[in-house]
Amino acid sequence: MDLKEIKELVQVVIDSGVAELEVTRGDSKVRIRRQVEAPRQEIVIPAQAVSAAGQPAAAPAPNPAPAAGPAEAQEAAQAEPEDDLHFVKSPIVGTFYEAPAPDAEPFVKVGDHISPGQVLCIIESMKLMNEIEAEISGTIVAKLVENGKPVEYGQALFSVRPD
Amino acid sequence: MFRKVLIANRGEIALRVICACKELGIPTVAVYSEADRNSLHVRFADEAVCIGPAKSSRSYLDFPAIISAAELTNADAIHPGYGFLSENAEFSEVCQASGLQFIGPPPDVTRLMGFKQHAREAMEKAGVPILPGSQGILASAGEAREVAAEIGYPVILKAAAGGGGRGMRIVRDGSEMDGAFSQAQQEAEAAFSRPDLYLEKFITAPRHIEFQILADTHGGVEVFGERECSIQRRHQKLIEEAPSPAVTPALRQEISDRLRRALRDVGYVNAGTVEFLMDETGHLYFIEVNARIQVEHPVTELITGADLVKAQIQVAAGMRLSEILDGPVELRGHALECRINAEDPETLMPSPGKITAFHAPGFIGVRVDTAAYQEGVIPPYYDSLVAKLITHGRNRDEAIKRMSRALEMFVIEGIRTSIPLHQRILAHPDFVAGKLDTHFLERLEPERAAKQA
Repeated sequence: MDLKEIKELVQVVIDSGVAELEVTRGDSKVRIRRQVEAPRQEIVIPAQAVSAAGQPAAAPAPNPAPAAGPAEAQEAAQAEPEDDLHFVKSPIVGTFYEAPAPDAEPFVKVGDHISPGQVLCIIESMKLMNEIEAEISGTIVAKLVENGKPVEYGQALFSVRPD
Repeated sequence: MFRKVLIANRGEIALRVICACKELGIPTVAVYSEADRNSLHVRFADEAVCIGPAKSSRSYLDFPAIISAAELTNADAIHPGYGFLSENAEFSEVCQASGLQFIGPPPDVTRLMGFKQHAREAMEKAGVPILPGSQGILASAGEAREVAAEIGYPVILKAAAGGGGRGMRIVRDGSEMDGAFSQAQQEAEAAFSRPDLYLEKFITAPRHIEFQILADTHGGVEVFGERECSIQRRHQKLIEEAPSPAVTPALRQEISDRLRRALRDVGYVNAGTVEFLMDETGHLYFIEVNARIQVEHPVTELITGADLVKAQIQVAAGMRLSEILDGPVELRGHALECRINAEDPETLMPSPGKITAFHAPGFIGVRVDTAAYQEGVIPPYYDSLVAKLITHGRNRDEAIKRMSRALEMFVIEGIRTSIPLHQRILAHPDFVAGKLDTHFLERLEPERAAKQA
């Protein structure tokens, strides 16, 4: 491979946003790796759960690792054609609970039909339990936050296919 | 030392606190509104939580959102910065109740300082000169007229629970008192929910002089000299400097000694600023205490070598001043600060928007405190401060020349800024001569002042 070809491959890496590219041609092999910035994590909690009783959490995972649960769930949800989906977003900062009590059934499950005013989940903030109600009619496509995990303002909780 | 500090603020001061925490090895949590998603304080904090929509009342002023964010991230201290909740005693109490250390004075001290009249009484008791005025809240326009006759006109009516120019009326003659009294009461009620007024001697051409103080939790109090902030427009400071060209070493010593006693007596803790007006004969009169770190703290840092924000955190963690400071406060050289705002130079309206080119000056004697960057956006929801440009020199003349040079070499495109105004002020012979008072800007721009009237 000559320099021109290598430069073109570098440009491909830059343009495509791909993080790493390896090309073998005959005897030549080139690996181009782009320095990807540590993913900006918007969800703050370290991988270990924070207990509500306020016990000091174990030392948080090193910064660049995004909180696993919500990110994966969000990616799974993005497999759906997003344009049709309505996202139920958290109106406050707090902790997400899918059920009214630890051993109770969740308020809603994937596939359930929901109507306006129906309670979908609880977000606990400063020891107060806030019921989050549906604003539209539709079907739950995905639950985007794990039970007991923290959520910030505007974070997507459920994806819903409107009626 | 704290396990983690949450910064309940935004913009340059949030970054300033992050700087101090990084240097102390303390992890930080940024909180941000949706409008600030791409802010530098979000980028440089170790963790970040979105707490609300753009509107301040639902984000940066929202107690539950901020306390929740602290609980979720396991922070154990909150730095409130300036503005927002920094002087909100109720917020300070909620922090206390939630097991979070508020980095600032205790709630009852903040409350005491917030009631201007009570602060005046506390200072007077300790021998700090106060502006002649009413003893306590005025019961009626009639009482106001009596007090004014004793002190001598002109006088000014002021809201007891307020500031920032609202609920204030200048009265030059007894015949104006009834009208002015009722107007000021109405404004005070609307702005601060309390119609209470007090009255003070009005100085026609005052200089605004303020002293930086720091107190620990062990009774230690230190004074870091003074700043002059006479270049103001409608009570908003534009240029500050330290030390004041009008304060002699003897006056500085005398006021510092009295302030140390006064602040020890009221049980002040953490950083604060004691504001004075200086009259035409060079006498200082106490006005109020700002119980927070202030925008213009860098000029004091540059002439004393102290890191005031770091010291705030250390005091809140229980350290003594003797451990925090290297020795007695010594002033070296002169420092100036220009608050560069996003504003239209003609209309003075805020000029929010996207910054298309940004290059800050540097080199010897120049400091820039900013959260602005190229391709960044100055949102319309908050204050219009783009950057604080601070210079230090061996003397006032050098600091001024450095500031002129730095202003010239500051590139900010895409928004309008106050840089041309700052350049005009600095070039004015009265400014260079140190002939300052709070009406300086009106004299500089009489046509503009007339247009706004």
